[in-house]
Amino acid sequence: MSTPRIVISATGAVCSGGKNPGDIFAAVRDGNSSIAPIQQWDTTGWPTTTAGEIAGFSAREMVEDRKLHKLIRRTDLLGLYAAGRAIDGAGLAAHRDTLAADAAALFSDRTGVYVGSGSGNFENQYDYFPLLAAAGGSLPAFGRELANTVNPMWLLRSLPNNVLGHIGIKYGLKGSNACITSHSCSGSLAVIEGMEALRNGEADRIVAVGHDAPIEPQMVLYYYRLGLIASDALRPFDVARDGSVFGEGAGALVMETEASAAARNAPVLGYVLGGGEVSEATGLLAIRDDGDGLARAILQALDNAGIGAADVGMIVAHGNGTRASDASEAAAIRTVFGGMAPPVTGFKWSFGHLIAAAGILEATLALEALVQGVVPGVAALNELDPECAGMPVSAQPQVPRSKVALILCRGFGGTDAALLVSAA
Amino acid sequence: MTSRKRVAITGLGLVTPVGNDVATTWDAVLHGRSGGAPISVFDASGFPVHIAAEVKNFDAAAALGDRRLLKLTNRSHRFALAAAEQALQDACIRPTDADATRWGLTVGAGMMGVDFADLAGTQVHSAADGELHSDLLLTDGPANDPVAFCRSNCAAGLSLLTRRFGIRGYTSAVHTACASGGQALGTALKLIRRGAADRVLAGGYDSMISPVGISGFCLLSALSPDNETPQRASRPFDVSRNGFLLGEGAGFLVLEEWQAARKRGAHIYAELAGDGNSLSSYRITDSPPDGDGPIQAMRQALWSAGAMPEDIDYLNAHGTSTGMNDRSESAAVKAVFAPNVHRLAVSSTKSTMGHLIAAAGAVEVAVCALAIRDGLMPINANLRDVDPDCDLNFVRDMPRRQRVRMAMSNSFGFGGSNSCIVLRHPDETDTALERGS
Repeated sequence: MSTPRIVISATGAVCSGGKNPGDIFAAVRDGNSSIAPIQQWDTTGWPTTTAGEIAGFSAREMVEDRKLHKLIRRTDLLGLYAAGRAIDGAGLAAHRDTLAADAAALFSDRTGVYVGSGSGNFENQYDYFPLLAAAGGSLPAFGRELANTVNPMWLLRSLPNNVLGHIGIKYGLKGSNACITSHSCSGSLAVIEGMEALRNGEADRIVAVGHDAPIEPQMVLYYYRLGLIASDALRPFDVARDGSVFGEGAGALVMETEASAAARNAPVLGYVLGGGEVSEATGLLAIRDDGDGLARAILQALDNAGIGAADVGMIVAHGNGTRASDASEAAAIRTVFGGMAPPVTGFKWSFGHLIAAAGILEATLALEALVQGVVPGVAALNELDPECAGMPVSAQPQVPRSKVALILCRGFGGTDAALLVSAA
Repeated sequence: MTSRKRVAITGLGLVTPVGNDVATTWDAVLHGRSGGAPISVFDASGFPVHIAAEVKNFDAAAALGDRRLLKLTNRSHRFALAAAEQALQDACIRPTDADATRWGLTVGAGMMGVDFADLAGTQVHSAADGELHSDLLLTDGPANDPVAFCRSNCAAGLSLLTRRFGIRGYTSAVHTACASGGQALGTALKLIRRGAADRVLAGGYDSMISPVGISGFCLLSALSPDNETPQRASRPFDVSRNGFLLGEGAGFLVLEEWQAARKRGAHIYAELAGDGNSLSSYRITDSPPDGDGPIQAMRQALWSAGAMPEDIDYLNAHGTSTGMNDRSESAAVKAVFAPNVHRLAVSSTKSTMGHLIAAAGAVEVAVCALAIRDGLMPINANLRDVDPDCDLNFVRDMPRRQRVRMAMSNSFGFGGSNSCIVLRHPDETDTALERGS
């Protein structure tokens, strides 16, 4: 069966490492980390104090329309920013403006939006604290005072699918869509589902975006209590690794059928070749030691793309720095590639773990790596863990073996996703 | 189209405000027995709206058969686990070690929510004056309890279901507000068609009947304020409608590749034949008055099913009972089904069950499957004076006995996502297959 290639005509990204894929990649390539002391709240006395926060975060810089700021949250601002840069870069709206009315309407109907969303965090629930305090434990009082105390738009601000709805409204896109809330695999799943919608003829163009802003006190505290947060730095595959570090941000791709890209003479940055995703059925937090789920996801992606393991030129590992995930990820790579794995790297040590946005943002960086012909070294790696033996991961830069990158992603619920992209 | 795999619905499970299983729910929906009542799960007497359609007499410990699961689940997860178990039992199949990797799971999941008791506990300890003091979080009970975190996580439902039933294939949760359940079924259909899974457990679950959930809708004035007449509160397409009745629950379906289902001799309710989805891109909460958006979703679902408008006998409308949705949906239905719109029988079963939000689409597709099985269309309850803007051929007063060749289910969400699912009578599918199409 032939597997039609899906064109990537533009990318967008934002995180602590920069406000476009090129800058973020340059920081990783040059060995720079933007993980720093948390600024959003006073961490005095906290057992963990660092994250990849966007320094000098400005809502206005992310989304110009100030009226919108009251209707959405920080995570939505990030998603709209990355998606906007990708849409502008691909020239979607500009192209539509050149079309006659009927053709323009069809262009809108045939352009879809697939979003991976962090699905609501704790801060929006805190909007009820003043009301709870005023009600003093009385629910009838809570009900009576509700309208005087809480922002009437509270529910809308809390919607996990805000980025989807607002991209649609701002750019007039009306096609096939989804908002995926599958924890860390959400962004990768947005790419996979968007790609399949294009292959299936449901749409001609898809904007895929993943966004998340998990750096908030209660979230950090829970992950810390679960033993998932590093004491100071994220060191993927290192013998001394002791956990992950949160980041925040978003990544976006504009994907098109080859026919759509050719018809409007679109830029071609690269291609989405295929993807796979599976569950390990282990519950919310546990993962299998043998990497079974991740190995199956990789094999599924290769099969989906119609290529073999030997065609993969580089691997962007999930590399979240936790003991169990990195060791089982190394096992999965051994299972699929044997002793023939291409150069492996990971990016999270530089700007943190973006949860729902991780997979898609890292896919935009993988494209940069392929274009520049550089697999960045993992600057945080001092000594490879013997459990991860045989992994061609290094603190030094390597050279991709081909134009194809494999991007791995793992989330709560024992979910594993694999994406394959190639440079043009 | 001809080479496309077809998808069979072989199992149903329902936990709804009008019944904790399929048979009870179906009987109530057919005859329009409303699930509306004063809210009992918390003291809502001070709220502007204190009625809802709650799931009643639900024995979670018995339904789950595992007491340890109680503390790991919130209310909506329990509904989900119970409905999924029913669906798998109904289909007489479940994942085995040999085929677990070929089973998928797609769910329309409710919004992430903190249990109200946990939120209130954190407020007392860490935000006594109404503002969060992050230093106090370090000694806060709920904020340091990993089990409370697990219940609130967006992946909780998905992980409970995959673990419980041993599903090891493609797994995805979607949230497009009230369109979630429909989109989860559409995703499942596409997974089987493209060969990414042979069987999928698909559905939706939600419960927003809590102080914070009710508040969110009250603040938007989305709910019917008819506190004195909860059973009449939901009256889609009636000229006097004034908002929706909040429901809760779960619906799950077992979906299988058609030939595999036939081969094992499974009972097939219907073919899950088509999926369409679109964005209205109009306003976040409003529906476009001319039906733009829903129109494209319905047309795409027909295209996906290889069907024409005249093939559809029954439409289970989104029909929320809000002024705007019902008018916009009626305009869309007229546009898609013109000039024969009056041949299409229409009802909104939200008139009976209320609005199950992220579960609505999945529950209503199950209702369509039952309509096809029995050749019976459920009524649009509480319809006295049809809004002149909504002059469709409604099933009123009595269930309508008529063979249903194909049925359609609409779900439209806040944020502008529209989902439309089309089902086909299994005999029609077999006939088409014999003809080689």
